[in-house]
Amino acid sequence: MTVVMNAIGPTYRRSFWRDLFVLTGRSIKVTWRLPFAVIPNLAISLFFLLVYQGGLSGISALPAFGGAHYLNFIVPVAVVSGAVGGAGGSGQALIRDLESRYFTKLRLTPASPTAFVLAPMIAGMLQLIVQTILILVVAAAMGLSVPTGFVGLLVVVLLAAGWGLAFAGYAVAIALRSGNSQTAQAATFVFFPLLFLSDTFVPLSLIGAAWLKVAARINPTTYVFGAMREVLMYGWKSRPILEGILAIVILSAITLGWAVFTARRTLRRK
Amino acid sequence: MTTEPTSNQAIRVANLRKRYGDVEALRGIDLSVEWGELYGFLGPNGAGKSTAIQILTTLILPTEGSAQVGGADVVRHPEMVRFRIGVALQDTGVDPLLTGRELLTIQGRLFGLRKQESRNRATELLNQFNLQEAADRRVKTYSGGMRRRLDLALALVHRPSILFLDEPTTGLDPVNRIALWDLLRQVNEETGTTIFMTTQYLEEADALCQRIAIMDRGKIVAEDTPTGLKRRLQRDVIELDPEHPEEAAHIAETLRTAGFDAVADKDLIRVFSANGAHSIGGVLQHLESKSVGIAGLRVTQPSLDDVFLQLTTASVNEG
Repeated sequence: MTVVMNAIGPTYRRSFWRDLFVLTGRSIKVTWRLPFAVIPNLAISLFFLLVYQGGLSGISALPAFGGAHYLNFIVPVAVVSGAVGGAGGSGQALIRDLESRYFTKLRLTPASPTAFVLAPMIAGMLQLIVQTILILVVAAAMGLSVPTGFVGLLVVVLLAAGWGLAFAGYAVAIALRSGNSQTAQAATFVFFPLLFLSDTFVPLSLIGAAWLKVAARINPTTYVFGAMREVLMYGWKSRPILEGILAIVILSAITLGWAVFTARRTLRRK
Repeated sequence: MTTEPTSNQAIRVANLRKRYGDVEALRGIDLSVEWGELYGFLGPNGAGKSTAIQILTTLILPTEGSAQVGGADVVRHPEMVRFRIGVALQDTGVDPLLTGRELLTIQGRLFGLRKQESRNRATELLNQFNLQEAADRRVKTYSGGMRRRLDLALALVHRPSILFLDEPTTGLDPVNRIALWDLLRQVNEETGTTIFMTTQYLEEADALCQRIAIMDRGKIVAEDTPTGLKRRLQRDVIELDPEHPEEAAHIAETLRTAGFDAVADKDLIRVFSANGAHSIGGVLQHLESKSVGIAGLRVTQPSLDDVFLQLTTASVNEG
């Protein structure tokens, strides 16, 4: 959309897409210049992959694994952990802008306020996609073989991006609401129940504690794991894939709706 | 496509009020700034200067009244206002991880310049503001003076017709302060840019501004040229240095009780009189009777500080 405002003085061409492109480019540049905001998250994901594969791979001999390798089972854990961490970076980027007061400077330009909020989210998504690809490359080097091939891996990347988007909505809403890094950092602890109150290490049928089974069934991450594991371990059975997509759509709708609401409230002049 | 009629004045404000709950930060201000004027906005902390500048730059809404900036209404057409103004506020910052050149280029793009145009403009401003050598360094390595110059350059990227500056030289050393004054004069003279600035430094307003408004407790208590404001006082000032500077406020109070028009200004006491030479005997006699020791005294013409002190003190006494 381009609107020309022929005011006193030169002509101003308003364009949401230009604003989004410029600000996303800037967010990517800043992410690149803060490697220590990215590397620990990637390192933790790879650590999960190496340690759990090394320590637990023997249990894949159990019938509940259906003959698949444990590596194929555990890869989604590393991917989802990386995705959540990467998406959390969107919130941190906004916090940096709020704390440095660059956000106020941006508000004094005629650029689209939606672009200020969307740009760090897009940069976070791109970071997450690169991270997911790196995790899959390492997994491939460890011997990952996928029955659905390249397309299956692409689906895993897309599911990770979707899940990351849902978490980015949450991170951005918290960042805008709190405006300080401590609160935003504390809010990312939701990551632990999301990641670990699920069929993280063994299939649901092997979980002993009844409470953990209940928690896993209501945890949307379980369905994302389910969708990723379907393509990484078995094939193209539609039900688990659709359940994963549905979990992402529902959670994204909630968190992005919250982010939009919070952004409007924050940016509204009072 | 939206068009607005050309305005006769760069800034026009009528009965502007802002309330925060029970607190009235602006109590109905009226002002107008002509195109090309360099206008100073003075006042003590909490006078309402920041609230006024935030309304005029579209960051917050007024509770009542109207304000047109560059002919556009700040409430109804904030985007038009933003395009016409350049702003360097104390409440804004820059991304310290970007370089000066990158920040200028991004700013240009957000104001609608094309990519190459924005790059060229960035280079032009970096040269004009003597930031060429630091252009490709991250801003976190810049000194205070360099940051202020960059902030000013950022405000000018889109060649705005009106520039809003909030205490542009606060915290700068005298060399950098005077260098920034020269830049502001240059911008005003060469491009005809209207400048609306707040400052704590009265000598800054005196040196730079063609007209000054003095604000106190949410109201404009005086508006005139620096000369006009000084002439308005039409009185001499007796400056007293007390032997014990910490007693300045108490001594001023003692003099006021005796009917003298005295105010304490940090360690000094200023006594305003229609004829300084005539009044000095009475002042000294009174101080002697109260056993107050004086280390030095001078009779001077009023400075802008005196006008400021008189007006803001009068306003406090009235309240």
